Amino acid sequence: MSPEELGQVQAEALGRVKGAAGAADLLGIERDYLEKGGVVAKILASIPSLAPEQRRELGSGANRLKQAIQKAIEEREGELAAEELERERKAQGFDPTLPSAQPRRGSLHPVTQVTRELEDIFASMGYAILDGPEVELDYYNFEALNIPKDHPAREMYDTFWCDRNNHLLLRTHTSPVQIRALERFDPPFRAIVPGRCFRNETVDASHEHTFHQMEGLVVGKGITVGHLIGTMKTFLREMFQRDLEVRLRPGYFPFVEPGFELDVRCPFCEGGCSVCKRTTWIELCPCGMVHPFVLRYGGVDPEQYTGFAFGLGLSRLVMLRFQIDDIRHLMGGDLRFLEQFGC
Amino acid sequence: MLISYRWLGRHVDLEGTTPQEVAEALTIHTAEVEGLEPFAPWLADVVVGHVLECDRHPDADKLSVCSVDVGGAGDGNPLQIVCGAPNIAQGQHVAVARVGTVLPGDFKIKKSKIRGVESRGMICSVRELELGEDHSGIWVLPDGVQIGKPVADEADLRDWVIEIDNKSLTHRPDLWGHRGIAGEIAAIQGRSLKPLDLTLPATEAGEAYPVRVESEACTRYIGLPIDGVRNGPSPVWMRNLLLAVGQRPLDLLVDLSNFVMFDLGQPNHLFDRRRLSAEGIVVRQAADGETMTTLDDVQRSFTCEDMLITSGGEAVAVAGVMGGEGSKVGDETGELLLEAASFLATPVRRTAARLGLRTDASARFEKSLDPTLPEKAAAHMVHLLRELQPDIRLPRPAGDAGSWKDPACEVQLRCERVRSVLGAPVEDEFIRTTLTRLGFGVSGEGTLTVQVPSNRATKDVGIEEDLIEEVGRVYGYGNIEERSLESVLTPAPHDARRNLVRALQDRLSGAAAFHEVMTHSFQSEELVSAIGLRDEPYVEVVNPVVESEFRVRRSVLPSLIGLLELNRRNRDEVRLYEIGKGYRIDEPNERGEPRELHQLALAWIRPRSGSERFGESGIQLMRGVVEDLFDHADRVFVGWEPGAREAAPPWAHPGKWLTAGPTEEPHAVVGELEPGLAVRLGLRGELDGEITLAEISLDGMLSQPEAQKTYRSIPRFPGVKVDVALAVPESLFAEEAAAAIERAGKGLVEGLELFDLYRGESVGAGRKSLAYHVLLQSPTKTLTDKEVSKFFSRLEKETESLGGELRRE
Repeated sequence: MSPEELGQVQAEALGRVKGAAGAADLLGIERDYLEKGGVVAKILASIPSLAPEQRRELGSGANRLKQAIQKAIEEREGELAAEELERERKAQGFDPTLPSAQPRRGSLHPVTQVTRELEDIFASMGYAILDGPEVELDYYNFEALNIPKDHPAREMYDTFWCDRNNHLLLRTHTSPVQIRALERFDPPFRAIVPGRCFRNETVDASHEHTFHQMEGLVVGKGITVGHLIGTMKTFLREMFQRDLEVRLRPGYFPFVEPGFELDVRCPFCEGGCSVCKRTTWIELCPCGMVHPFVLRYGGVDPEQYTGFAFGLGLSRLVMLRFQIDDIRHLMGGDLRFLEQFGC
Repeated sequence: MLISYRWLGRHVDLEGTTPQEVAEALTIHTAEVEGLEPFAPWLADVVVGHVLECDRHPDADKLSVCSVDVGGAGDGNPLQIVCGAPNIAQGQHVAVARVGTVLPGDFKIKKSKIRGVESRGMICSVRELELGEDHSGIWVLPDGVQIGKPVADEADLRDWVIEIDNKSLTHRPDLWGHRGIAGEIAAIQGRSLKPLDLTLPATEAGEAYPVRVESEACTRYIGLPIDGVRNGPSPVWMRNLLLAVGQRPLDLLVDLSNFVMFDLGQPNHLFDRRRLSAEGIVVRQAADGETMTTLDDVQRSFTCEDMLITSGGEAVAVAGVMGGEGSKVGDETGELLLEAASFLATPVRRTAARLGLRTDASARFEKSLDPTLPEKAAAHMVHLLRELQPDIRLPRPAGDAGSWKDPACEVQLRCERVRSVLGAPVEDEFIRTTLTRLGFGVSGEGTLTVQVPSNRATKDVGIEEDLIEEVGRVYGYGNIEERSLESVLTPAPHDARRNLVRALQDRLSGAAAFHEVMTHSFQSEELVSAIGLRDEPYVEVVNPVVESEFRVRRSVLPSLIGLLELNRRNRDEVRLYEIGKGYRIDEPNERGEPRELHQLALAWIRPRSGSERFGESGIQLMRGVVEDLFDHADRVFVGWEPGAREAAPPWAHPGKWLTAGPTEEPHAVVGELEPGLAVRLGLRGELDGEITLAEISLDGMLSQPEAQKTYRSIPRFPGVKVDVALAVPESLFAEEAAAAIERAGKGLVEGLELFDLYRGESVGAGRKSLAYHVLLQSPTKTLTDKEVSKFFSRLEKETESLGGELRRE
C-alpha cells in the first residue's frame, strides 16, 4: 500500500471520527479500523509479503495511521462529552417555584428551648443545675422559707394542697430547692433550678395554674446586692445579646431580706409598648439577699455567709421571646402550636 | 390601696414635688405604685353654669327648659338646656356638661331635641359625675363659685389618685393609711412630717366604760364614750378626700370613722350607745349558730371560730370585719361609743373568708396592726370631731382591755454589715440620718443601737437585715455599683439524669422527628376512667381548680393518651413525647413525700397502610426508636420480652405489647393502643390510625450500666452479600428463622436484615416467607465460593428442621 493510499485511508477514518454522533459511532470506528480484523490489522498482515524496505515504510505508516485514528477518537470523545455537558446545562423545564421538599423534623418545646438557653448561660458562669420535687412538703415550700403557718404572705401563693393537714402541696415556686440545696452543698456554691410550679388559679389567656420558673441561688462569703445586680445584668446581656438597663425596687418576699423586684428596660420598644404596658419597664423577677433565717434553716451560718436568690418567670420569658399571646398554648399539647418550634 | 395626693398634703408639705415624682419615689423606695390617675378627670370639662331662666317645657310636665350662662366656657350666649330634675330652679349654680364632654361610662353629650325642644348640654346630678349615689335631682353648687370655670376647681375636687399594689404592702401594716405613706415620702425626699396630736384628751372623771375581753384573738379593745354629737353631712374637704380614695360619703359619723381608718390605717367603729346595754362591751367567741344582721343588711350566722363584739349578751359587731345593723349610728345619734381595737390577723382573715366579707377593716387587721395604734386613732377621732363640734363631751374614761404588749424593740446594727451586704460605701452618717427620718431611734457609733417603734416593729423590723433594707431602699438600689462574682470555679456536680434528659430530647426532637409536649400534672377523672386506671392510688389535690382535675399523675403516658384525639383530628401522623414526673402516694418515704418517678412517654399515630404488602408495623418502629434512645444515651438495653396477655397494661393491646427490664418496674414498655380504648377515645372511624405507645423509665435507664463504645477495626477482607428467603409455617417466630441463619453461618454472619415478609399462593396456605439480606464475612480471609455454598446447604437443612424450605433468591 502506497503512502498515498495510506493517507486516503487516514482521511476517510478521520472523516468518520469527525462525523461520529456518539459513543456508539466511535466504537464502530474502533472496530472497523483498530481491532482484530480491522483495517490497520489488515495492513499489518500484508507486510510480510512486501520487500524489506517497503516493510519498514508501511509498518511505520500503519503505526502512524493507528495513532492518528486513536488520537482523533479521544479528541472526539472529549468533544462529545463536552457537548453532552453543554446540553445538560442548557436543559429546560426546571421550575424554580416548585415548593421545597422539607425533611421530616420534630420540635423541642419552647419552654425547653428557653430553659436550655438559660441553663447554658448560667452553667458557663459556674452554676450547678438542680432539680426538686413538684409534690413538695410544706416545710420546704413555706416553713423553712420563713413563711410559717398563718403568715399573711401565704395568701400570695394560691396553693394546691395535697392533703387535709396541709403537709403536702404542689410547690408554688422553685424556691424550696433553695433549702434542699443548702442542705446538700457546702458554700460557696451557685445553682439554678428550672422547673414547673403550681398556683390555684383559673386558667385564661394570661393565667395558668401550671407554669415554669427558674430559681437562682448564690451563697458565699461577701456576696452583696452589687453581685446580684451584676449577675442579672450579665445574664440579660447574654440572653438579649445587648446591654439592658435594670432597676431594683423594694419587693416583699419573706425568704429574702432585703427583697427586690427586678425590672428590665423593655427590649421591645423605646418609649412604651403593649409588652411593657407603656411603662418602658418589664417586671422580670423577684430577688433579694437570702434571709438569715433561711440560711439557718439550711444549716448555713449567716454571719459567715451571705447570698442572693432570684426567681425568673420562665413561662413569661418564653412568651416574651416567641411573642406568644395565650399562655394556655404552653401546656396545651397541640401539634399546630408545637410544630412551630422545630429543631 | 388608693392614696389621695391631696390627702398626703395634710401630713407632709408637698411643695416643689409632683404626683408623678411622688409615685416614682414610692415605687423605687417603698412599694410598687400600680397606677397614677387624675381623680375624676371629666370634672375638668364640666363647668359651672348659672341658671338664668327656668320655664316649664311646653309639651312635658316634668321637664324644664333652662337658659344657662356658662360664661367663658360658651360662645358668649347662654345655653338652652332641657332638664328633668325636680329641684332645678332659676338662680342656681349647677354643673354643666356641654356638647362634646364625655362623662363616666363613655357617655358623650350631644346636641339633641327633647320633645321638640333643642337641648345643648346636660345639667348633672352627683351620680352622673360619680361623686355619690344621689340621683334625686341635680347637683346644686354653693354660691360664690365662678361661672364658666371647671367644676373640678370650683368644687375643690382636683386631685391625683395613687394606686399601690396591696401585695407589696403585705409586710408593712404601718402603710395602710395616708399618714404612713406620707412618712415614707418625708423620709425619701428629706421633708418633715407635719405634727399630729395623737394624745387622747382628758375625759371627765368616773368609772371607765365597762369593757371585758374574753377572746384571746382580741389583744386590745378601747371603748370610748362620746356625748353631745350631732350627726349631719360631713365637711366638704373630708367628703372630697374620701371620694378620691373611692369611698362614698354618707354622713359625718360614718365619714369620720372611715376618714380615721384611711388616715392612720386603724379600723374603728362607732356605735349608737343608746342601743348598747349599760353593761358595756364584751368581746367573745360566737356560739355556734349565733346570728346577727351586719351593716350591709345581711343576716349572718357564726361559728365558735368567729369573734363577736357583744353588749348585754347580744352581738353588736363581727370583730374586725363589720358592725351590726342594730347598733349603727344614724341621724338621731347623739351618744357614741367609739371602738378602736387590735385583733389577731388569722382569726379575722378566717372569719372574713368564711363570711365572704372582705372589708377595708378586715384587710387591715389581716396584716397585724400595731397595738398602740387604737389609742392614737381614738385621739385623732376626738380631735377631728371637736374641731367641728367643740362642745362634744367625753363623759367618762375609756375602757381599755386586752393582753397586748408594746412590740417596740431594740436592734443592733453594724454599719460595716450594712456596707458588706449592700456592697456600697454607705456612710455611717447616712445610716443614722435615714433611720432617724424613718422614725427609728438611733444611738451609738459603728454599731448602732436602733430603737424600733411599735408601728415598725409590728411584723416587719426585728433583725439587723430588716434595718439594712431600710437603709438600702432609701439609699437607692440603683446607686449600688454592679459587681462580678469571683470565686475558684469547680466543675458543677455531674447530673446524670439531666444529661440523659438532654440526650433523649435531642434524639427525639431531632432524628426521630417527634414533638415535645408539656402537659398538666393533673389527669382528669374522665381520662383515667377511660383508660381503666381509676383504682390506682394517687396524690390528691384537695382544692382543685377544675372539679374533675384532682389527680396528680402517677405516670406521664395517660397525659399523652389524652392528647391523641385532638392531634389526630388535625394531622394524619402524630409523634409526641413528654418527659415528666409521676408521683406514687402509695410509696411514701419516711417524711411522707410520695415517691417520684421520672418518665418518658411516647405516642405515635400512623395512617394504616391498608395493603398486605410487607411494611414495618408501628410497634416495630417504636421499638426501634426506644432501642435507638438507649444506644444514643449509651445505656445497655436488656432486650425485649413479649408481654403476657394477662399482664398487659390497661392502655395496651393484650396481644401486642412488649416489655424490657424487670417485670415490676420495666425499663421500657411498648404496645399498640388497646382497641376498646381507641373506641372510647373516638379514635376509630374517620380518626382511625395505627397507634403505638411507649413508656420509658428514666430511673430504669439510669440503673443500666453505661455502654462503652469502642472502636472495631474495619474488615480487611471483603464479605459476600447473599439474599435468602425461608418459607416457614406461620406459627414460627422471625427470631427462630434468624437464629437458623446464624447457626448455618457458623460465625460468619456479620449482617442480617429482614427485608420482606410475604404470604401468598406461591408460599402456600399457613406459611410465610421471610427474606433476608445476609452478609457473610471472615476476619481472617476472603471467603471462597465453596464456603458460601456450604452455608447454603447447612441453611437448607436448618430450614427443613424448622418445617420450612429454603428459597434461594
